[in-house]
Amino acid sequence: MVASSITAAMNLGYLTVLREAAGYVGGYLVTNSWGRPLEFRLSTSVQPSRVQLILYGGTLEPYICGELVGKALVEKTATHAQLIVTDCESALELRQRLDTPVVLLKDDPLKSDQPGNGLLGRRGPVFCHPRFPQDAEAASEFLGRLDPAYNLAEPFARIREALSEARKMGAMSRG
Amino acid sequence: MGESSRACRFTVPAKVHRLLMSLGENELSDAETSAVGLALPVEVLSSPRLDPTLKVGVKEARLLGTEPWVRSLGKLGLEVTTESWRFPTPPAEVSDPATPRLDRSVEEPPTRVEMPRRRKGTRLQPPADLVHLKERLLYLLQPPLESLFAGRQVQLPSPPYPYQLEGIAFLMPRTSALLADEMGLGKTMQTILALRLLFHAGLIHRALLVCPKPLVTNWSRELRTWAEDLPFEIIGGDADCRHTSWCISNCPLKLVNYEMLTRDAAIVADEEVRFDVVVLDEAQRIKNRESKTAQVVRNIHRSRSWALTGTPVENRHEDLVNIFAFVDAERIPPETPAKRLPQLTSDCILRRTKEDVLTDLPPKTVRDSYLELTPAQRAAYNLAESQGIIRLNSLGDTITVQHVFELIMRLKQICNFDPATKHSAKLDQLQADLAEVADSGRKAIVFSQWVEPLEYLAGELAAFGPLQFHGRVPNRQRQQVLECFRKDRVKHVLLMSYGTGSVGLNLQFANYVFLFDRWWNPAVEDQAINRAHRIGQKEPVFVTRFISPGTIESRIAEVLEKKRQLFNELIEQNEPPALGMTEDEIFGLFNIRVRPRRTAAPLAA
Repeated sequence: MVASSITAAMNLGYLTVLREAAGYVGGYLVTNSWGRPLEFRLSTSVQPSRVQLILYGGTLEPYICGELVGKALVEKTATHAQLIVTDCESALELRQRLDTPVVLLKDDPLKSDQPGNGLLGRRGPVFCHPRFPQDAEAASEFLGRLDPAYNLAEPFARIREALSEARKMGAMSRG
Repeated sequence: MGESSRACRFTVPAKVHRLLMSLGENELSDAETSAVGLALPVEVLSSPRLDPTLKVGVKEARLLGTEPWVRSLGKLGLEVTTESWRFPTPPAEVSDPATPRLDRSVEEPPTRVEMPRRRKGTRLQPPADLVHLKERLLYLLQPPLESLFAGRQVQLPSPPYPYQLEGIAFLMPRTSALLADEMGLGKTMQTILALRLLFHAGLIHRALLVCPKPLVTNWSRELRTWAEDLPFEIIGGDADCRHTSWCISNCPLKLVNYEMLTRDAAIVADEEVRFDVVVLDEAQRIKNRESKTAQVVRNIHRSRSWALTGTPVENRHEDLVNIFAFVDAERIPPETPAKRLPQLTSDCILRRTKEDVLTDLPPKTVRDSYLELTPAQRAAYNLAESQGIIRLNSLGDTITVQHVFELIMRLKQICNFDPATKHSAKLDQLQADLAEVADSGRKAIVFSQWVEPLEYLAGELAAFGPLQFHGRVPNRQRQQVLECFRKDRVKHVLLMSYGTGSVGLNLQFANYVFLFDRWWNPAVEDQAINRAHRIGQKEPVFVTRFISPGTIESRIAEVLEKKRQLFNELIEQNEPPALGMTEDEIFGLFNIRVRPRRTAAPLAA
C-alpha cells in the first residue's frame, strides 16, 4: 500500500471526436489504470461553414480534431494523463501541440492506411504520429504495465454514451 | 466628288502586258494596255461610305445590380468551448496495478476469473430520478463490471451470473434500492460486490450492514469470500466497546444485528454517526412502521438506503410502504392507493425469480401430501374443534382474534400429534420418507412452527441422525450444528423451526424439505424451502408439505394460496387484489357467527 502511494498515478486519456450532423464534437475521458473515470470533458459542436470547408480544404479535419477540439479538451483538463489514446485518426495531429504521447487505436490493422509506427501488441494495433516515432516505445512500456485484461477500446463506448447523455440534457449547447 | 473621279486608272507594266498577250488576251485595246511608269505615286481616293459623320451614343448597361456585389467571409477561424466534470478519486491502495506487478515473479499467480462472454458488458445505468448530469455521467462512465471482475483488482472465487451482474449494476448507482430477488439468488453476494466496487471507486467510505442476529455469521463468511480486501467489524460487546465501534472506529464497513442496533438507538441517531450507505438485510423486519426497529433504522443518518428481502410483501401492501419509509420516505405519499405502488416504486425495486434467471438450477418439486389423521388424532381433533367453537360463540362480542388463534394452534398441534397417545400420521409418513432419503445417502430438512414437536421428532427419528436448529439451541452452537449436518454422512435430518432456520442459511447439500406443519405466511414457507433450493444446488429438490384433509390445515392452505397471488400482483405490477389474511378470514376458518366489536383489519402473520 505504501509502494502504491509512492508510485506515480498511471492515468490514461481517451480522446474521441465524432462527426455528427451538428458538427464535430469531442469527448475526453481520463481514467486511472483500472479504467475508472477521474475526469470527463466534452466540447461544444464545431460546424465549419462552406467557406471554411473550401479554404481549409484537406487540412480542415486534422485542424478541427487535433488542434482545435483535441487540444482544447486535453489542455483544459486538470487531471494529467501519461498517455493519450484516440480512435480518431485526424486527432493524432494533436501530438504536434503536446508533449504527451498520443497513439491511435485502430479497429483493424489491415484497414489502416496510417503511415505511423504500428505496435501490434495483444491490445490490438496502435499507431503513433509519424513525426514522433519515440512514442511507440513510451506507449508500449506504459501499456505493458496495465492489467492484461484491460480493454483499451472499451472506454470509447463510454465516451460516446456520455456524449449522448450530455446531448440529451443540453450540456453541449451551452457553449 | 464627281462621277469621273470614281474610276481608278492604273498602268500595266510591259512584262505583264507580254504575259497577258501570251495567254491569248489579244482583244485588249491599246489604250488599256498603254505603258505606265511604275515610278508614279499611287493615288488614293477616299471612300464615299466613310463620309457620314460618326455619332457616338452611350447606353446604360446594368451588369451586377445597383451597387457593386460585396460579401464578407466573416471569421475564418473556428472556435470551441468545453465543459468538464471531475469525479471522486479512487483510494490509492486500489488505484495502481503496477505495484503488485513488480514482484509478480515471486508471487503466486493471481486467481483469474473467466467471465462469461457477453456481446455487451454490464454497465451501470443511472436511475431515472437522478437529475444532475455530473452524477449521471459518473455512473455512465464507470467501466463494465465484466472488465473489473476480469482484472486483478477485484478478484473473485467464482464469476457472478449475468443476472447477478445486473443486480450489482442496479444497486451501485441508486441511493434508494430494494433488491427483492427470490431467496437463493444471491442477494448477499450482489450487495457485497456492489459495496466493494463503490469503495474501490471512492464513492463511499463508510457503510453499515444490519441483519438478523442468526445471520451475522453468514454475512461474515460471505464478506470474507466476496470482499477479502474489505475490512469489516462486527459491532458487539459491552456498551463501551460498542460506542467505540460506532463513534471512533475507522473501519469502513460495520456489521450489526437488529437487536444490537435497537439497543444503541441513541448512538446511531447522533449527527456524528453517519454512513454513506445503510443496508438492511431481511428488511421485512421493518414492515411494522411503528416498531422500535423500524424507527431506529429510519433515524440513521445516511446517504444511501438499500433494503434486501425476498418477501417485500408478506401480507398487505402496507408492508411495502413501510419498507419504503426507510428506503425513500418521500417516494410514496401518505394515503397512496395500492394500485399506484408499482408505478411509484418500480424504478427502485429489482425482483427476479429463479424461473426468470436460473434456467440451469435443478428443478424444485413441491408436493402436497394429504394424510388422514389417525383415529386417535381424529377423535381428539373433532372434540377440540366442537368444544372450541362452542366456546368462541359463547364469547359474544367480547371475542378477539386471539381467541381464534388459540383454537387454531390447538387444532394444528393435534394435526401433528395426538396429545394423549402421540400418534401421528405425519410422523409415520415422515419416517417412511426419511428411510428412503437415508438409504440414498441424501439429507433432509424438516420444518415445524414449534420447538416441542421438533424435540419429540428428534427422539423418534434417532435412526437418521437428527440435528436440531431452533430457538432453544444456543447461538454459539448453531454454526457447529450446520457444519456437522454438512459434513457428517450419518446425519441425514436437520430439524428446524421456521423462525430460526428460514432465512439466510445456505443448505444446498440437502435435497429434501419437509414442512411438517404449515406456517401462516407463504413467504416464510418459501424462505424455508429455499434454504435448500438455491445457487449451488446440484440435484433436484423435493418439497413435501404435510396437510391433514378436513382440518384447519387444509382451510389455511386455501388462504395461503390466495396470499401468494397478492405478492405476485403487487410486485409484478398487476392489479392488486384484496388484502391478505384479515380477521374476517381468520374468523371465517370456523363456522362461528360472532365477531368482535371493532371492524376487521389486516393482520400481520
